[in-house]
Amino acid sequence: MLHYASVQLARALLLRILFGALSLFFISFVTFVADEIQPGDRATVEAGEKATPATVERIRENLGLNRPWPVRYAEYVGNALHGDFGKSYYGIKEPVATVVGRNFPVTVVIATSAITLASIIGIFLGTLASIWANRAGDRAILVGSTLFVTLPNFVLAPILVYIFCLQLNYLPQIWKPDRPEGDFWYLVLPVAVLAARPTALLTRLTRAKMVETMQMEFIRACVAKGVPPFRLVLRHGLRNAVLPVITAIGTSFGVLLTGSFVVETVFNLPGLGFLTIDAIRKGDMPVIQTCVLLTGAMFIFLNLIVDLMLPILDPRIRESQV
Amino acid sequence: MSGGVKSGKRKRDWFLIGGLVFLSFLLLFAIFGPAIRGAQLSAEAKRLDPTLRTYDPVMDRISAKTHEPPGPVALLGTDELQRDIVARLAQGARISLFVGFTVQIIAVVVGVAVGMAGVFAPKWIRGPLLRFTDGMFAFPDILLAILIVSIIGFTVNAVIVALAITAWPAIARLTVTQVATLKDREYVIAAKAAGAPTIYLIFKHILPQMTGVLMAYSMIELAGTILAESTLSFLGIGVQAPEATWGNMIGAARINMNSYPIELIWPCLILSLTIFSLNFVGDGIIARSDPKSR
Repeated sequence: MLHYASVQLARALLLRILFGALSLFFISFVTFVADEIQPGDRATVEAGEKATPATVERIRENLGLNRPWPVRYAEYVGNALHGDFGKSYYGIKEPVATVVGRNFPVTVVIATSAITLASIIGIFLGTLASIWANRAGDRAILVGSTLFVTLPNFVLAPILVYIFCLQLNYLPQIWKPDRPEGDFWYLVLPVAVLAARPTALLTRLTRAKMVETMQMEFIRACVAKGVPPFRLVLRHGLRNAVLPVITAIGTSFGVLLTGSFVVETVFNLPGLGFLTIDAIRKGDMPVIQTCVLLTGAMFIFLNLIVDLMLPILDPRIRESQV
Repeated sequence: MSGGVKSGKRKRDWFLIGGLVFLSFLLLFAIFGPAIRGAQLSAEAKRLDPTLRTYDPVMDRISAKTHEPPGPVALLGTDELQRDIVARLAQGARISLFVGFTVQIIAVVVGVAVGMAGVFAPKWIRGPLLRFTDGMFAFPDILLAILIVSIIGFTVNAVIVALAITAWPAIARLTVTQVATLKDREYVIAAKAAGAPTIYLIFKHILPQMTGVLMAYSMIELAGTILAESTLSFLGIGVQAPEATWGNMIGAARINMNSYPIELIWPCLILSLTIFSLNFVGDGIIARSDPKSR
């Protein structure tokens, strides 16, 4: 029986990985086609604006761009699998892998900080609200979280900048190449803005699940047995309610890693989102392709992890899958 | 309407009414705002500022001064290019609502068609179709929209196409779950037993039953679409200047925020209120049409 169960699980896992890889190929193909249908390619960029059509054609031939597209796509995928994503069209024409590798850590740092902050505050406030269910404190937390779920990042960010940078003068406004105050202070506002929405979402989810759990039979049994309230909420309530919250933390982290365009643009942070938007404005196709591919890969990978984690954390799901 | 718990219901209704009132005003503002402001401004501008011969609707120039404070002509002042902020807010409302409604209409048509096919089509179509829908649904919307916009260009039409492609999977999934319960109702089974073709069942018995829920959800989705359009414009890869949208107004005002923070407030406020209202109205309609959540 156990053997059968693990075979089933392995099969599901393999299918998911296969599907993820297929999705990545699909994304890479879409970005490749995007490059094809766009006017201009590497040859026109290399040749410059004043080049004659003949020059462009000669450069195209030298670069091998006149070969049929399936050949070039195969070459692109082959190079990508070896970590070679081509070179940027502009600037000093750095390899894209270098540029992306430089920007990626920034996004990871702010997304990780934001999700940690959001998890701690969200679970805390949600639990608090569930203890105060339907009283004033609960209402206040609910209204506040509704506000932050719907408030756009690019509205929240200027408000915070106005208060903390322009009026109070506590924090630096944007990321600069020279940072006299230490990196931490430059990341406070971006992380706060990024964390706002997941905090609100996690607060609402924790509250809902806690209210549901605390109405169950076994909680009443615990009360009857005389379990102290603190232990009741943390050990018996929260431990049972927190599973869907963990799933939500996983998906929120995916959204943060792949959706920090606005925050990075507002605060001038050299992360992946900033790089993507910058490349799109310039029309730097190799950089766009790689950014989209990497972002898509992260998203697929994180969703896979979340799906795999659930049966490990929750014995009920583990049994129902068998 | 009648019965149920009074206290909990009344509070939600206030949000619903407030949202509806705001949205009605917004609609009127979007429809009549640009015309009325344009006419009024051209008259006023000529009278007050002799250096300005006519009101220029392309540049929206009404004053010789940039960043004019609120006054009798420009009720909320002017921006860095001497354009009236009220007129630009109205134009932004027009674009946001136009993009939002167009995208949602496309999304509902495509989503319902895909959703119906996902329930009624033969298995070899149904399976891959639902898989594809789930994949599209899971993929981050804004990333996909950014990719599409970067391919087709930074215009209103490109934004509509990009957002429509990201918007339909949500409606398709909703349709699948709705139809899954509706198609097993007695009257549908009775009609089927009487020999009604599937197309007839869909249009006569199933679709009319789900219009309410569909409308409520597309209201909430509309909020998401308007937000996405503003985000693209804010990032400078959506609707471009000189066309005014709330997103690019916020983007432009942010650059001047150290000197003129007041100009940031109005587009932020109107955008936030629109999104809140759409959510309140959508939630309100769902709560009313779903007896379980009352």
